[in-house]
Amino acid sequence: MFGVMFATFFLIRLLPGDPALLLLGNMATPEAIVSLRERLGLNDSIWVQFVRYLDNVAHGDLGTSIFTSNPVLQDLLERAPATLELICWAMLATVIIGVAVAVTAVVRRGGAVDRASRIYGLAAGAIPDFWVALLLIYFLFYLLGVAPAPFGRIDALLPPPNRITGFYIIDSLLTGNWDAFISSAGRLVLPVLTLTIVNAGALMKLTRTVFGDVYRSDFIRHARASGLPESVIVRSALRNSLPPIITLVGFLFGFLLGAAVLVETLFAWGGLGQYAVQAVVNSDYPALQGFVLVAAAFILLVYMTVDILYEFADPRIKV
Amino acid sequence: MAPERSPLLEVEDLTIAFGDGAPVLDGLNFALNRNEIVGLVGETGAGKSILTRAIIDLLPKGGAITAGDIRVEGQSVGKLPEARKRALRGGEVALIGTNAKLLLDPVATVGSQVGRVLKAHRPASRTEIRSRVIDVFRQVGIVNPEARYEAFPHELSGGMAQRVVIAMALIAEPKLILADDATLGLDATIQAQVLDLLVSKGRELGLGVLLITHDLGIISHYCDRVGIIQGGRLIELKPVDQFLDKPETEYSRLLLDAAKVRPAPRDQSGDDAPAASIQPLLDVKELRKTFVVDGGQAVVRAVDGISFRLCKGETLALVGESGSGKTTAGQCLLKLLQADSGSVMFDGTEILGLREHEFRRMRRRLQVVFQEPYVALNPRWQVVDLISEPLALTGQRGGAERAAEVTRLIDLVHLPRRVAGLYPHQLTAGEQKRVGIARALATGPDFVVFDEPTTALDIRVRAQIIDLVRELQARMGLSALFITHDLNSVRSLAHNVAVMRHGKIVEHGETEQIFARPKEAYTRMLLAAELPIEANRSGKAPKTELEFVR
Repeated sequence: MFGVMFATFFLIRLLPGDPALLLLGNMATPEAIVSLRERLGLNDSIWVQFVRYLDNVAHGDLGTSIFTSNPVLQDLLERAPATLELICWAMLATVIIGVAVAVTAVVRRGGAVDRASRIYGLAAGAIPDFWVALLLIYFLFYLLGVAPAPFGRIDALLPPPNRITGFYIIDSLLTGNWDAFISSAGRLVLPVLTLTIVNAGALMKLTRTVFGDVYRSDFIRHARASGLPESVIVRSALRNSLPPIITLVGFLFGFLLGAAVLVETLFAWGGLGQYAVQAVVNSDYPALQGFVLVAAAFILLVYMTVDILYEFADPRIKV
Repeated sequence: MAPERSPLLEVEDLTIAFGDGAPVLDGLNFALNRNEIVGLVGETGAGKSILTRAIIDLLPKGGAITAGDIRVEGQSVGKLPEARKRALRGGEVALIGTNAKLLLDPVATVGSQVGRVLKAHRPASRTEIRSRVIDVFRQVGIVNPEARYEAFPHELSGGMAQRVVIAMALIAEPKLILADDATLGLDATIQAQVLDLLVSKGRELGLGVLLITHDLGIISHYCDRVGIIQGGRLIELKPVDQFLDKPETEYSRLLLDAAKVRPAPRDQSGDDAPAASIQPLLDVKELRKTFVVDGGQAVVRAVDGISFRLCKGETLALVGESGSGKTTAGQCLLKLLQADSGSVMFDGTEILGLREHEFRRMRRRLQVVFQEPYVALNPRWQVVDLISEPLALTGQRGGAERAAEVTRLIDLVHLPRRVAGLYPHQLTAGEQKRVGIARALATGPDFVVFDEPTTALDIRVRAQIIDLVRELQARMGLSALFITHDLNSVRSLAHNVAVMRHGKIVEHGETEQIFARPKEAYTRMLLAAELPIEANRSGKAPKTELEFVR
């Protein structure tokens, strides 16, 4: 964690741009800039700044965003659920679709699903996510009008549900707020679909390969020779294919945290990725540092979970 | 319904082909009755395994029955509806395959795996299934079955895994058991135990057992009738006694002769026996090697203070079951593993203390033939490159000289010269062994370690490899350490035998002496576990003690 903090702190300061200048605009007088820099502590030596930063972080203070003037922690806490809700649902859909398609393709080799998945496997990865998002918005929202507008997480006229978990869908369910539930679920459909379409391809290809190998292995053949029903055989083969799948899902999870930014932007989602990009554009050092810190913590958490799941998935591995 | 007395298994005119190619099985005809054990013998590629898979209608992709029929209890297997086929597999006809460790699901406990077979055929409650599984585990001789129920396959030894697979086959109370090379690669002692178990269970429950193997020793000990398959045809089928007395076909005679190959006890006269006065070529003292396993929890003493000497021209056999530390010992001698302590003097030089670059100069004098030739050969190199690679150690520069040397080596190990341009996967197992041997001999070594050179080979190929090694001994005056669990081959090769158990040498002496008058109980057990075909066949009772010493 310290390493991450150290690296980001110094790397961010290598970025060109002066936050004071950006904040005050082009018309600012040099005096005003100097005094603002003074106030932000930007004139102290970089080491002093770093130590001050460490001290603050240790006290749970990630600093104040230069741009939004809110404490960074508060900004992040507001936006994190948006992104997390988006990528959680997207990952869930990715895993279900990717694995189900791969398993069907292997079990019914040469069938319709197999052939379709081959074409999809070729296409996925070649299509960028924003393009998929634009296509979906164009067809489903603009032409057919079945999807809700791509503006935020919930209808602007509805108040968001009381905050419990920060996930609108869960919160609205818990509070029994059906309008909010329907609206927020509807809003989720397009972005989740976008991320799923883009990411399920990789997971499907991997699962196909791994599951396909296991499915042809000796012990599966023996299980079939022992007269086990096909459902038991598929389940056992799938359990044996889990480790690489868990790894990829863990990786995608961490990756999406920042990579969903284009999708977030297109759907005006107001999530973490968008916040981070804004911070970069505005040279908002504290905000950017805060984001990287939270992202690193999150990824660490995901990888730890992956390791623990690994041990459950394969008794031969001791973590 | 089937007529009351139809045989358990009938195979009629069975022909199986892949695509439009030549049939793998060609017009097979035989029947198997209840309470009968029929052995099928054939070399690798004869189509034995295809037969077992045809019986449960699970042919590999592309294979199809082009003529004939298979009937189990009078019912044609191919014509059954899918659900009945599933009930047949495991429920009525159970398959036991080779290499049990690969046949078990690595991430499920063995108890649950056996349990799910039972559940698929005889639905029962969880607790009932559990107690049935533990019951069957106990019957197949698994010690402490309650604890083993929770074990994962990787925690079991090969023999134990094989027992689990047998339990899996027996649990649904089938009527017919197909054992396809079920004991291949197991130690002789374990093999005898597993087969005893399988056969006695079969007799007890009145099952039909089809025992497929390439080991005539197994056939002669356990089977009622024997069938010989060659190139997909059943060329001979008769009671075992008659077969052993006078095999009908040329091929059967060949197989039988190859299986009988042994003694030709070594020429004991005069100059062949190494003179004791000469300084030993290799002198090993108190060699030790321990492995730390389980993350530092336990220490395995793989080699626990062994000492022996080897004179020039002498062959010493290191015999023991798997896990006795014999391969580790061989690798320590060649410094492929770093020994913990002890001393290895080679031709007057202490080699354990040598640094890597000092030892490299000696490497050409000490060579090894690895256990798995296919794994030890780089799959992307042609044979000619594989053999000429070690020649670089000898410093021969000239291309023509080197090419001539490769040809000489290929001739030396009796490979056809055309193999030079082939890749390892295009060779048969026996040819791969020969390439491995040629590689080891390329540098003109004084001392060669043969690590299990005859494991998992067909009988005839095994005999050929043994002949080759003997010939090399005689021609080159090679000193060799022969690591094996195959006692037959030892007898015709080695001057001296050292029996290893749990990392220690328990008995050491001249070959004939060990065979004739073994002192240790363990050695006697190893000897008794061998299944020579000419042994006394009284009653086909499972072998126990020493009955084969002649």
